[in-house]
Amino acid sequence: MSNIISAPRPSLLELEEKAKWLTLLLLAVGLHIFEAALPSLGPWFKPGLANIMTLLALVLIGPRAALMLAIWRVIVGSFLIGTLFTPTFVISLAGGIASAAVMLLAWRTIPGITLIGISLIGALAHMSVQFITVESLFIHQHALYYLLPPLLLLSVITGWINGGLAAYIISRIEESD
Amino acid sequence: MRYGYNGPMATLASENDLPQNLWQWFKGSWMDRVILLISLVAIVCSWQWIHSFVSSGPPMVMIYHDDQLLARYPIPEEGKPIHFHAEGEIGDSEILIDANGARFVSSPCSSGYCIAHGQRKEHGDIIACVPNRILIVIEGNSADALDAIVE
Repeated sequence: MSNIISAPRPSLLELEEKAKWLTLLLLAVGLHIFEAALPSLGPWFKPGLANIMTLLALVLIGPRAALMLAIWRVIVGSFLIGTLFTPTFVISLAGGIASAAVMLLAWRTIPGITLIGISLIGALAHMSVQFITVESLFIHQHALYYLLPPLLLLSVITGWINGGLAAYIISRIEESD
Repeated sequence: MRYGYNGPMATLASENDLPQNLWQWFKGSWMDRVILLISLVAIVCSWQWIHSFVSSGPPMVMIYHDDQLLARYPIPEEGKPIHFHAEGEIGDSEILIDANGARFVSSPCSSGYCIAHGQRKEHGDIIACVPNRILIVIEGNSADALDAIVE
């Protein structure tokens, strides 16, 4: 009991960051579920709206928070739609982690890049890693890659749009602060 | 941090000036456009490269379980459909091949994405059932050249 009382209270800044992260996580999970309910544009293709929240976490909180958000979004979202530990979950998780990692790297290293470029690179990484995961873990068949170029093209479009949306949301948040 | 928008310009722009605002948010920086250009060139080149292998010869329906080729059929004539049962990881997938192409008729997977994917008959088309690890690929007769190169 005395330990609890004497434990240092988290700072207001820490609490604020946790609240922001949880809010973004809930929004990301909501978008993850929404995307799962959308009619499929093709195998493994989703518009990647949930990735907007990863971009927001990257800018508003930091790289570590963005990576954790990408991981927890897939875990919680898959649990809620009933695909936890299925191939769909493994493919989503691999894509989510790769996408977040590549976006962090691009954000840190590429000069002059904006959220649009970061999102575009993330979308391409997400799609490519999904295919690599399917090919290496589930269907060991090179022919799978026939489908990759058209889906990468769609990823370029959605990545660009999602980046623009993320930039817009950030600016509105900053205006309101 | 560069967010892909110009803060002062955004506040100067009128709220009603929607097209201009949209351009502000979605135009990207010069680096974004360089990345876009490189990506598009790489995608189009790889697409062309794959298409040149896959599209040679009449279309054949290849049915795989993992890396094992289970069956290989030409697209049949009208009125002569082929029913094929592919034994996969979690059960039996029924595949119908007719003059309109190939499709999954039934599958033991819970998602049913493979069935929803419908019929495919063009060169390079693919329908996959990941849970059952069954893959339908439409290839040209001489598409084996790609496997030889990749391997």
